[in-house]
Parts: sequence; structure tokens; C-alpha cells
Amino acid sequence: MPKPTKGPRLGGGPAHERLLLANLAAALFTHKSIQTTETKAKRLRPLAERLITFAKRGDLHARRRVLSVITDKGVVHELFTVIAPQVAEREGGYTRIVKTGYRKGDNAPMAVIELVLEPVTKKPASSKKSAARAETKVEKPKPAAEKAEEAADEAAEDAVESIEVELPAEEAPAEEAAVEEAAVEDAPVEDEAPAEDAEKE
Amino acid sequence: MAVPKRKQSRANTSARRSQWKAAPVHLVKSVENGRTVYSLPHRAKVVEDSAGTPLYLEYKGRKVADV
Repeated sequence: MPKPTKGPRLGGGPAHERLLLANLAAALFTHKSIQTTETKAKRLRPLAERLITFAKRGDLHARRRVLSVITDKGVVHELFTVIAPQVAEREGGYTRIVKTGYRKGDNAPMAVIELVLEPVTKKPASSKKSAARAETKVEKPKPAAEKAEEAADEAAEDAVESIEVELPAEEAPAEEAAVEEAAVEDAPVEDEAPAEDAEKE
Repeated sequence: MAVPKRKQSRANTSARRSQWKAAPVHLVKSVENGRTVYSLPHRAKVVEDSAGTPLYLEYKGRKVADV
């Protein structure tokens, strides 16, 4: 919702301002880029972007609401069929205002207001946002990583124990039975530990 | 028509006039082709060819309007 403007109306009164802005919007949609005074461009921006939002919605009700502002059906048709698909990917900010200097005659500051019809290029998130995201990401994996490390240590200890147990077993076949049992007991633990790692990772 | 009752003193006149001052224009300094250029901030600049003829208005590397 555009913020209502404070201060005096453009032109001679409220009705004059509505007509002025409607005509400017129609001119903007036909020519894609128009030069006016800075004040008019700034007043036109919220209206024009609202009309484009209606055009992106595209249904009959939206079309009638646009037609209540711009009475030229040709312009509205172009807005709905040509301009709306071009800005379908864009999430607001459909117009661009560039200040272009002062008018000869009354020295009024002039500006060019144009539709932003270039395809959207997503820029990388700002440093603050990305930093915040990175922090949250780092915080989450840390405990998991620690757990994984602990689990890995345990598994390594188990493996060492089993090796220690196996080595004597080879030397002393007499104790094989007991050692094998121990190895069998250890083995499932080893299997479980990597499985836990995988789950945590 | 309102008529002044008293003559306004020179002190009052000069005190009023001393408040009318010119403010410096804020400019940004940039170096273009080895020359230092002062220009208004946030405003499209005129691009000229080598002979100095104005070609078009440019802002942030984008052609904005014809001169």
C-alpha cells in the first residue's frame, strides 16, 4: 500500500491531480520511459507500480480497477499483455527514477521515470544477512559435528580394543572361543557407531 | 493599507539583511580520463564525444535519456 502523500495536491486540486497522474501513468505504459519533473515522477511511482501489480494479477476484476484509473483500453491491454509478463518474476520495484538536471525556462528539477523491464538478476544477499545466515548455519552443525567426533572416537576405541583382542587370539588359539565372542560383541558396536554418524551427518 | 508607525532603524534593517546567505553547493569529486570533475550527486551526467559534443545522459553506466 503506497503511503499517502502529504502537502498540497499537484495541479489545481484533488481531481486535477488524479487526472494528471492517470495521464502520466498512461504515457509511461505506452512509451516505457518518460521525462517529467522530479515531484511528478515521485508521485507517479506508487500509482504506476500499483497498476502493474493489478496487471500481474491479470483477472477481470483487476482489469476493471485499472480501467477506473486509465480509461484508455488500448493502454490497459498493452499493460496486461505486454508489460505484466515481462515483470512477472520481479517482486516490486517496477519503475526507476533518474534525476536528469534542471529544465530550461523555470529551472525545475527534471527526472526520467522508466519501467524496469530487464530480466531479474538475483544479487547475492547483503553481507549482514549472509553473515547472520552463516552464524545460524554454523551453530546448528557444531553440536552434530561434536557428537559425530565423539562417536568416531568411541568407534576408534572399540576398534583398537578389538584389534588388541584379536592379536592375542592369533597368538593363543586356545583362547579363540572367548576372544571371538568378544570380537563378535565388539563388531555390532562398530557397525552401530558409523550408522549413528551417518544419521547425524 | 497598513502604514508603519515608526521609522525602522538601520540596525534592524542590517540585522534582517545579514540573515540572507548563500549556501555552498555540495558536489562530488571524481576523476574521468585523468581529469578531476566536480558534479552534482545522484544526477545523470552528459556524455560527450572527443570533440565535446553532448551525446546522451548517463547514470550508473546506463544510458538514461537523449540530451
